[in-house]
Amino acid sequence: MTSRALVTLTALLLYGGAAAAQRVRADWSAQAIPALTETNVVPGNRSLGELRVVQPVGMLEVSGAGDRVRLVAAVDFEKYTITHGELAPGDWGEGFEDRRHPHTLVHQLMLVVPDLSGRLLGPVRLFAAAGKGFVPFGTDDPMSRPVVRYPVNHHLSQILERAVGLAGVRAGPVTLEGALFNGDEPVSPGSWPAISRFGDSWATRLTVTPLPGLEAQASYAFVHSPENRPGAGPDDAKTSASARWERGPWYGLVEWAHTRTAGGAFVFRSVLAEGALQLPRQRPYVRFERSDRPEEERLFASPFRTRRPLFENSILGITCWTVLTAGDAVEVWTGRRVRIAPFVEGSYLGIARVGGGVFDPQIWYGRTRGFTITVGARLASGMRMSRMGRYYVQSMQEMSMP
Amino acid sequence: MKQWSLVGLVLGLASVCVLAACGGDGGTGTPPPPPSDIVLVDTIPVTPNYGIHDQYTRDGLDIICAWNTGILIYDVGNGIVGGSPANPKLVGSTTTVGGEAHNTWWFHNPNTNEKRYLFVGQEGPGSIGSSSVGDIHVLDVSDLTQPTEVATFHRNGSGTHNFWMDEPNQVLYAAYYNGGVVAIDVSGTLSGDISSRMIDTLTFGANNTYTWGVQLYQGSLYAIDMLSGFWQLRDSSAFLSVAAGGNNQTERFGSDLWVANGYAYTGTWGGFPRGGVYGNALKIWQLGVGGAPTLVDSIITPDIHTVSDVAVTDDNKLLMFSTEGGPNSGFWFYRLTDPAHPTFLGKYLVGNGIHTATFSRINGKLYAFGAKDPPEPAQFVLDVTALDQ
Repeated sequence: MTSRALVTLTALLLYGGAAAAQRVRADWSAQAIPALTETNVVPGNRSLGELRVVQPVGMLEVSGAGDRVRLVAAVDFEKYTITHGELAPGDWGEGFEDRRHPHTLVHQLMLVVPDLSGRLLGPVRLFAAAGKGFVPFGTDDPMSRPVVRYPVNHHLSQILERAVGLAGVRAGPVTLEGALFNGDEPVSPGSWPAISRFGDSWATRLTVTPLPGLEAQASYAFVHSPENRPGAGPDDAKTSASARWERGPWYGLVEWAHTRTAGGAFVFRSVLAEGALQLPRQRPYVRFERSDRPEEERLFASPFRTRRPLFENSILGITCWTVLTAGDAVEVWTGRRVRIAPFVEGSYLGIARVGGGVFDPQIWYGRTRGFTITVGARLASGMRMSRMGRYYVQSMQEMSMP
Repeated sequence: MKQWSLVGLVLGLASVCVLAACGGDGGTGTPPPPPSDIVLVDTIPVTPNYGIHDQYTRDGLDIICAWNTGILIYDVGNGIVGGSPANPKLVGSTTTVGGEAHNTWWFHNPNTNEKRYLFVGQEGPGSIGSSSVGDIHVLDVSDLTQPTEVATFHRNGSGTHNFWMDEPNQVLYAAYYNGGVVAIDVSGTLSGDISSRMIDTLTFGANNTYTWGVQLYQGSLYAIDMLSGFWQLRDSSAFLSVAAGGNNQTERFGSDLWVANGYAYTGTWGGFPRGGVYGNALKIWQLGVGGAPTLVDSIITPDIHTVSDVAVTDDNKLLMFSTEGGPNSGFWFYRLTDPAHPTFLGKYLVGNGIHTATFSRINGKLYAFGAKDPPEPAQFVLDVTALDQ
């Protein structure tokens, strides 16, 4: 079923006439999800339904020189398919509220050296990577997990689309990564990281795989002024811990995330648990999440957008979102080139105020409980979508769901 | 299996990069042309760090609070470096500890004839209506070209907002958000930690206090609170107590104030629609014989979220307020022939909004200075002499 492409090029292509031939391997995958979403958690106490193509992504991993170097690229076309975001109550970030923001066109473009040390250090392996991509912090990109709906905690649990330089060491079941990156998050789907800010933020992640299929990580990141590109905004201190199980037909993840903003002036907490079971032709899944969200002033032009660039440093309050999501995907077509998996996914949402502040969900939404239901189909080609952000492994070999 | 060529891969990735680089955000709309009796004299670009929050004009100087960039002192008619409203010239600048320079007051002490101290409010992160942080920083501006921070005032549990000074009595009054109102003795030499100089403080009750601004007027201190409305306070040797008013505005959040002519004008804030209503109102309060406020009228401005600042000219003829959050953001001017019922004179719309605005009379002309919000933050200078007839 895999469609790994093995491309053998001559030394003429690689080395301009050198005699030795080298093998270049290219793996790719692509997906898109047409999805119809309906929800009654909408500003102004109304219901809203939308049909959009979400998560249209193409991934490419090219390895060469005997796998001593890899290029990992992912292109995300949400800039074109969800220009105004994906209807998703509770989701937030990058100037969007209750709509998941479109990711940048170049989702990642990383050059990876997976084994710097060779045999010099015995079983210990050093690795490094640089480019635009994921910071070694937190859990997997939601796009590579079974639930289609993005979790509320996306901006608490992952740091991505940054100019990042990372290095790490692997020794048996233990992997330690460290990275420098730019703190500013993307300001539009077409934006690139502010290179002048490279190195103003850092992260480290410790991962342990004590048993086959079981992986646990703890990570910390200091992020300077993520929401103000010139650097005038408050800083984040982020902590994450998680355990992930994937073996046979079972998948599970539990995570805890904590972000202290502006030296603790604001604290955002998140707990999440999700699981899935791979049956012969279908995959039921479930997720429970309870995550805090900052409430910011919305724009006159849209109740789903907030001011960017952010100015002043105040917020309207904090809300806690409790989201229980369940769904099932059925693989109806598994052809040589294309896979089609229709799904239905429903979420119950509860919204509560945390502490003080003027934001009142009862006033804003006209309710504090509601639902979202989505029907759609995953259309995929090539290899299955990988786990993005763990550059020390060949992502497309270790990938699994969705 | 699919065959790829390395050249094709590189070209494909390059195309994606070019596509991404070409992607841009839409710009802000161009505002309609203003009336000819409001003339844009100049704009001073301010580094977007985050930008300009407020300005204080006195003696022909324009003192800009430029957040993390600090304090910028421009000559706009003082003559110290030959500046004018049309050609502002930077005199001096400095950053304050912690940045977030929000507002300022240049203390002219009539007892000593000193103009030595500049008080700077720092606005730290807060949850509006609930929490705040931020100190008062004192700069020595004896040498305007080299302002130097010399003292700090700090309160635990709350942060400062707008100021007013009783200069003859050497008392600084500061709105302190959830900390209410604070009176501080600023006589003598100010140095180091001056937190012990607090004379008194007053709040309007738990979950009912988030004070935006204060102003002294005819022996009373007036305070506008975002949650509890417009208050008249007694000020007995800077000891504070409630005289009248308060709990008189529940449909909108309060914002800035100006008191003149026996009337008070208060703005409303709409970062969140209180009870579903945005801050599109300017409220007009008549002050009774004892100074107690009674609401007599309102001006509703469509297509905005917030009336962010209010000012009246020194001759009490002209009212100005700034607006944000909507296509009608900018400067608005009203005539005060009948101070209870101002009449519309003109507007000057500025995309993204004007956060704060103030009048200044320089060399016989009347100017309106305004702080334009990001992106592209700037100090706007309007000649509004023609309106002040």
